[in-house]
Amino acid sequence: MTEPIIPQAPEVPEAPAGPYVYDYAASPQRQVVMPKTVPLPSYRTYLAEVKAAAEADEAKWKKMQADYETAKAKAEADGKDAPKPPVRPVPRKDDNDLKTPWPQEAKDADLLLLQELLGAKVQEIFEQAGELTCQIEKGALHEALLLCRDREDLHYEMLADQSATHYPAASDFAYSVVYHLTSISRRKRLRLRILVPEGFVPESACSVYPSANWMEREIFDMLGIAFANHPDMTRILCPDDWEGHALRKDYPVVGWGQRDIAFREDRGGMIERIALQKAGQLGINLKQPKAD
Amino acid sequence: MFKNEEMEINLGPQHPSTHGVLRVKLRLDGETITHCKPVIGYLHRGVEKICENQTFFQGQVWTDRMDYCSAVANNLGWAEANEKLFGITVPRRAQYIRTLLNEFNRLASHLIWLATHALDIGAMTVFLYAFREREDILDMNEAFCGSRLTTTAFRIGGLREDMPPGFEKMARKFLAKFPTCLEEYENLLSENRIWKKRTVGVAMLSAEDAIALGVTGPVLRAAGVPYDIRKAFPYAAYAEMDFEVPTETAADTYARYLVRMAEMRQSARIIQQCLDGMPEGPVMAKIPKILKPEVNEVYHATEAPKGELGYYLVGEKGSTNPYRFHVRAPGFINLQSLPKMAEGGLIADIVAAIGTLDIVLGEIDR
Repeated sequence: MTEPIIPQAPEVPEAPAGPYVYDYAASPQRQVVMPKTVPLPSYRTYLAEVKAAAEADEAKWKKMQADYETAKAKAEADGKDAPKPPVRPVPRKDDNDLKTPWPQEAKDADLLLLQELLGAKVQEIFEQAGELTCQIEKGALHEALLLCRDREDLHYEMLADQSATHYPAASDFAYSVVYHLTSISRRKRLRLRILVPEGFVPESACSVYPSANWMEREIFDMLGIAFANHPDMTRILCPDDWEGHALRKDYPVVGWGQRDIAFREDRGGMIERIALQKAGQLGINLKQPKAD
Repeated sequence: MFKNEEMEINLGPQHPSTHGVLRVKLRLDGETITHCKPVIGYLHRGVEKICENQTFFQGQVWTDRMDYCSAVANNLGWAEANEKLFGITVPRRAQYIRTLLNEFNRLASHLIWLATHALDIGAMTVFLYAFREREDILDMNEAFCGSRLTTTAFRIGGLREDMPPGFEKMARKFLAKFPTCLEEYENLLSENRIWKKRTVGVAMLSAEDAIALGVTGPVLRAAGVPYDIRKAFPYAAYAEMDFEVPTETAADTYARYLVRMAEMRQSARIIQQCLDGMPEGPVMAKIPKILKPEVNEVYHATEAPKGELGYYLVGEKGSTNPYRFHVRAPGFINLQSLPKMAEGGLIADIVAAIGTLDIVLGEIDR
């Protein structure tokens, strides 16, 4: 005779006593790691870096030689064998299909023309990865856009894209705003870039390129750069009462205070367990809906 | 008693013709639209922020979820933007397979556009026919990468795997029957009196306005501007392909229909060339497992089925994730032109105007 199988109630883990507060502020998704470098592509910075690296390399080599000379002199004095002469280290060559696109000197006629026309208002021109970049003074943006659109030998008819980047580690500016212009007739692309400090209100490009309307609204929504003389400077993707600007580097991946109970962070199902227990105390069966 | 004042109505956010959750605030004078304002953001998920906090390889899967009707085109843009950022040369065979899949995806995207656009305007039948062919393309997606809609078809540096056995046969079988299918759709629509009444002269957008508003893709080409990024700034294997850029001059909804139908024929031509001239060789470039860029910024634009899809990436030295990632979504910019198209027209025609832009709210809101 077999023993009757007694149905056993599934074990419900005990919820912790007292008011349960999930420390959602401690969640890794809410932590902010501020960037330490300013990754602003620039030919001038690149040249300075290359020079500094070469100098450091040279200094290291000089030190190696000096060390060898002293070691040799010491060995001769002690009557031992001379040490091996140093070998200058050669940079390792990787066998792969990567060819890093470094910034290069501007040779394109459009960039040179812009520099000639705008003079000192052009801060930098260079080419990288086959793209033309022209960094201009933030006040001269409108002038440059008008030149690019209207001059026959430039003729960039379309503003394809406008975007901005937050650089909190930079000292003299906070954002870069980039304008990607396309010339349909000449099959060319050009990037105009301005550097904007915190709180500065750049001129809107809407009067020159109407397509900037929504793109500038998006930049305002995501990074908090307001544009002057814009027809409708309101948020576009987030609701009007949203706090903060999501694409700034000081904004966490999970937003501030927008969700008091963060279900996605409640991995152990603690909220559900508490709800079940509380309902059980009140005599409500949440698991099985009551039949009519 | 009649009132003479203007009436304000909301189209959406939940409305079958808005292809997602788009709200359009309309002000009407009788049946004429005097003011139109699209309100977006209901599907905003913060893809750009998420990708900035993930590695370059992980970002790939997010691009599928932006424009889910043309996931392959979105994957291609992401992979190529990254390759530009790191300076990777992709093997020629991988380029060909990418082009092939991208064109299949263009067919699928245009078919879903045709189906839903016709359904919006009231032609039910073509919906069923177009979905029949789209199903075959999704089957091919499944054969290639195991997934039908969110494909993640490519990897940075090439492809994960080569074409599966039997894929070429599937593709050729599809190509053999596809021209007849196109004729079926055209028989249903092109000379259909109701279709022409609902589309000819509706939602006009001139070439000047389109360029000023940044509108790209079939909408721009239907206004007579032969701007196709596949021709203007060739990427993948498009430089080696022989195809035409179809244009129309009427700049109305019917012209956009004609342009997209002609584009489907060109896509089939490109697929044929890819299959015939498929080179041998590896499909993945030799790249390290962890990619770390130098300081660099790239803007890479590709011709997605909806228009110019641009990815803007800023690389930080020694970091494994992008410092800044921005998407120039074609639907986002194209939707800006909706007021220009709809104002002055009838309220019944705004459904045609939204449909003809071929928007997907997943990429507009990101």
